[in-house]
Amino acid sequence: TFNLTMTRVKCSKLRGKKPDELQKQLEELRQELNTLRVGKVTGSGGAQKLGKIRNVRKSIARVLIVTHQTTKENLRALYHGKKYKPKDLRKRKTRAIRRLMTPKENSVQLKKLQRRQWAFPQRTFAVKA
Amino acid sequence: MGPKKETKEASASAKKKDAPAATTTATASAKKTTKTAGNTTTATKVVTKERKEKVKSTALKAKQRVVRGNQLTRKRKIHTKPTFRRPFTLRLQRQPKYPRRSVPKRNRLDHFAIIKYPLTTESAMKKIEDNNTLVFIVNIRANKPLIKQAVKKMYDVDAEKVNTLIRPDGEKKAYVRLKADHDALDVANRIGII
Repeated sequence: TFNLTMTRVKCSKLRGKKPDELQKQLEELRQELNTLRVGKVTGSGGAQKLGKIRNVRKSIARVLIVTHQTTKENLRALYHGKKYKPKDLRKRKTRAIRRLMTPKENSVQLKKLQRRQWAFPQRTFAVKA
Repeated sequence: MGPKKETKEASASAKKKDAPAATTTATASAKKTTKTAGNTTTATKVVTKERKEKVKSTALKAKQRVVRGNQLTRKRKIHTKPTFRRPFTLRLQRQPKYPRRSVPKRNRLDHFAIIKYPLTTESAMKKIEDNNTLVFIVNIRANKPLIKQAVKKMYDVDAEKVNTLIRPDGEKKAYVRLKADHDALDVANRIGII
């Protein structure tokens, strides 16, 4: 039988679109899903319509993914290099690692130690052949 | 002698409050120098420096006192009651240096999510014809005002009232009675229930 499921919404196509275009597409898809659900209850359409539901749901997911990804990307670019970033834009790693001292903080030495190291460095000797 | 000293003081002391003081000292020292015309330059230099320090310190003290408030003669509050209630202090608004979440949470319970689908059972049909109501299966987290809003947004109809119940299978059913100027049958046709 002829498969009437809609043309696949592709992420690569979506990424080029503007945010308000994406919003509009999202609205349309959700309306479509709504009508499909009504159709399911009233018993119209048949297998094709019912199969379409899955496609529409996944298309909606794709639009949302692209919207969210582009927003996040833009925000990361906005906050790049700033001292205070929102917490979800900071690196995640693990809780313990985030609380460790930075390498710079670790390398801090007492002045006394610095002077000693400068005055008495580790010497290497060699026996003259 | 006079003008030379003035310029020296002007160059040395950059503080604003010293400006009037400096000029007075300049004039004072000018008077002094006119008296002792034949005096050595070193003696007059020392005098002006001392005087400058004194003037500066008194001015500074005055400023500090104004800022601190005189602690010796402070006004004391009279308490007429034995209880002491915490006084109202300044409460500043938050000025966060960064938003905690970069993107605000999106509303998961929007009108698409609230109304799942309409019911088309026999009793639901009866409701449409007789009572001018539409029956929907609705998100269980939706309440009556939200359902009213959602119906308005989705189907462009005003609801007179909404009655809800939770079915035994865990879904929420909403009976949405439409206002008298809407016809439930027309709306049902429009939606596709029939």
